[in-house]
Amino acid sequence: MAQMNMIQALNSAMDAMLQADPSVILMGEDIGYFGGVFRATEGLQRKHGEHRVIDTPIAEGAIIGAAIGMAVGGLRPVAEIQFADYIYPGFDQIVSELARLRYRSAGDFFAPVTIRTPCGGGIRGGQTHSQSPEGIFTHVSGIKVIMPSNPFDAKGLLITAIEDDDPVVFFEPKRLYNGPFDGDPNKAAIPWSTHPKGEVPEGIYRVPFGKADIVRSGSQVTIITYGTMVFVATLAAASLGVDAEIIDLRSLVPLDVDTICSSVKKTGRCVVAHEATRFSGFGAEILAIVQEECFWDLEAPIQRVAGWDTPYPHAFEWEYFPGPARVGAAIKAAMDPA
Amino acid sequence: MSAPGEYVFKMPDLGEGTVEAEIVRWYAKPGDLVAEDQAIVEVMTDKASVEVPAPVSGRVLAITGSAGDKVAVGSALIVFQLLESADQASAAVPRAAPATQAAPAAQAAPAAQAAADAAGAAGAAAEFGTSSAVPAGGSAKRVMTSPANRRRAREAGVSLHTLVGSGPRGRILQSDIAAVIGDPASPEPRSSEPRSSDPQTTEIKVIGLRRLIAERMSEAKRTIPHFAYVEEVDVTELESLRSHLNAQHASAAAPLTYLPLVVLALARTLRAFPQCNVRYDAERGVLVRHLSVHVGIATQTPDGLKVPVVRDAGSRSVWDLAEAIRAVTDRARANKSSREELSGSTITVTSLGKLGGIVSTPVINAPEVAIIGLNKAVERPVVLHGAIAIRRIMNLSSSFDHRFVDGHDAAAMIQRLKAYLEHPASIFIADPTRGEA
Repeated sequence: MAQMNMIQALNSAMDAMLQADPSVILMGEDIGYFGGVFRATEGLQRKHGEHRVIDTPIAEGAIIGAAIGMAVGGLRPVAEIQFADYIYPGFDQIVSELARLRYRSAGDFFAPVTIRTPCGGGIRGGQTHSQSPEGIFTHVSGIKVIMPSNPFDAKGLLITAIEDDDPVVFFEPKRLYNGPFDGDPNKAAIPWSTHPKGEVPEGIYRVPFGKADIVRSGSQVTIITYGTMVFVATLAAASLGVDAEIIDLRSLVPLDVDTICSSVKKTGRCVVAHEATRFSGFGAEILAIVQEECFWDLEAPIQRVAGWDTPYPHAFEWEYFPGPARVGAAIKAAMDPA
Repeated sequence: MSAPGEYVFKMPDLGEGTVEAEIVRWYAKPGDLVAEDQAIVEVMTDKASVEVPAPVSGRVLAITGSAGDKVAVGSALIVFQLLESADQASAAVPRAAPATQAAPAAQAAPAAQAAADAAGAAGAAAEFGTSSAVPAGGSAKRVMTSPANRRRAREAGVSLHTLVGSGPRGRILQSDIAAVIGDPASPEPRSSEPRSSDPQTTEIKVIGLRRLIAERMSEAKRTIPHFAYVEEVDVTELESLRSHLNAQHASAAAPLTYLPLVVLALARTLRAFPQCNVRYDAERGVLVRHLSVHVGIATQTPDGLKVPVVRDAGSRSVWDLAEAIRAVTDRARANKSSREELSGSTITVTSLGKLGGIVSTPVINAPEVAIIGLNKAVERPVVLHGAIAIRRIMNLSSSFDHRFVDGHDAAAMIQRLKAYLEHPASIFIADPTRGEA
């Protein structure tokens, strides 16, 4: 086992897959010679060659379109979109081509494409470097949507994604690249070396899709979240002294409905938290499922914490980010509804 | 205090001295539209069940108590929302609510029926197995509680409308339900009998008329030192008269039984035994002797024992008496007795007819001091004038309140009654010793 931050864990996953499978190639803006703006592919072009770790033009539609063609031709491309905020030029390729290829060809063709993209705020990125568009992709049938919250899961999930024969959009919460972040920007940064999930095996291992992680088991309220908000929710519950069960979904599509529902049926209370905007966000789907499956076990209305329904602001980043205070208020509302 | 447009209907005083009334059944539930004078609830005082009509037209917002609960006179019974126009009335018809808690079984059927009458939509709700106790729309007061508590209440058969919520804005909390259905973790204070573990048992709540009967029987047996007196009566001639009258009046609504003849003889007897035609006012320590004989007729009804009263039995003809007895007992069996009809008797007659057996020990219908029981009339061999004869014999099994009726008086009274019954013409002949002509 090695100590890795999330960048190193992702790098390790891609390195191991490049090593193990000659059909795996990486492509994206500045990922080769430069090693990626977040250093996720550092050293991989030197190690595996320019024909396998490919620098592309600044053209997301072309990156994804080319990846689809390569995949249909038998390769396993891992495309990096530098920021999730930049993914929209490639959106038509994802929705109209990538997601449907297997359906449209009645299974004759498929596209084992992995699209990696950093998401989320908390890094002074403003509206063009802070978005969490996962809900836009969970709404598209035919693609899997993943968001890890720690180095161990990141590597294991990315390997599962690369090995998957169907397209995966792999969101990386960039505020978690270097350490767990509980939503308090005034605290000193904590490195992953202090966290058990910073222990990452060197070789290939897999974390399965469709299996949520119960980060903390508890009896009083279920907090369903993913990405950066896992740590925010943990802090919020701890500071209230609430015995919360905290579920890190990790895999949004496919979704681990069983873990969600058995937990809510146990606690009778539910809070859903994500960084993305609230209206039509992925949390709405969780609320709907919990309502459908767990209605008669609910002691209180399901609470939802999310980003405000505006673009992510630069000047009021911490007013916008759904930090521990907002999660705490939602937990209180679930525990003692007025 | 009521909000504008609301009308609070309080439990009315249903008879002199009534302090509380028991809810027998609701014909309406919150959300229902009711028209003025439509029966909305059946309540019981003493032994009379009374259907209370709606005092106004409107929508029921809230009701107090469920079947078996006692509600104090003058306390809020029903809150109505007054309807300003018929248009609003039709718009306010409750829609089928999604699964809500079920009313207790005893209440559910009539409630569902009433709902079906009021609005077809509610009938549809019943089809889907959701006994809709809460309206879906409008401003009717919805019970505030969590889905989990709705499930708990439903599983326990508790109507949430009967609970008072202790949570914010009156919301019903889990602890409010636990207080009613009993928290398995805490001992149940009201039940001393351990619950039967035998799955083949049925639990029947002692409420309503049965509770009243139980209370009054216990009270009578606890406070009254009963003594029983049994005498046999030769009713051969009474039977002969009865057969004759029935043959003469074949067109009568129904043939005579012994009962009106016995009641008439009893009324006649009591003229000489006023100490047996008495109601005891325990509070004042007064025995109230009555000149008129108001005879209670112990009657088996589908709900249990009732004692409707035939007033002033002594002044009636035998046919009039027969008709009066039939009328009051029919109404008692049909649950249509008025409160007056079920109170005020001065002595009670109990007859099981063909089930009468040979001896019984009837319980006095307090505050009376005597009860006369008729046993079965059968032909028996008896010694008559030195020879064995076949005679029709019926026993009278009577109980007396020994505090106020001495054994001598009771025996003399039954002997006088026996004399009337064995010589039935004397029932109808004036007694010159009493100034009758």
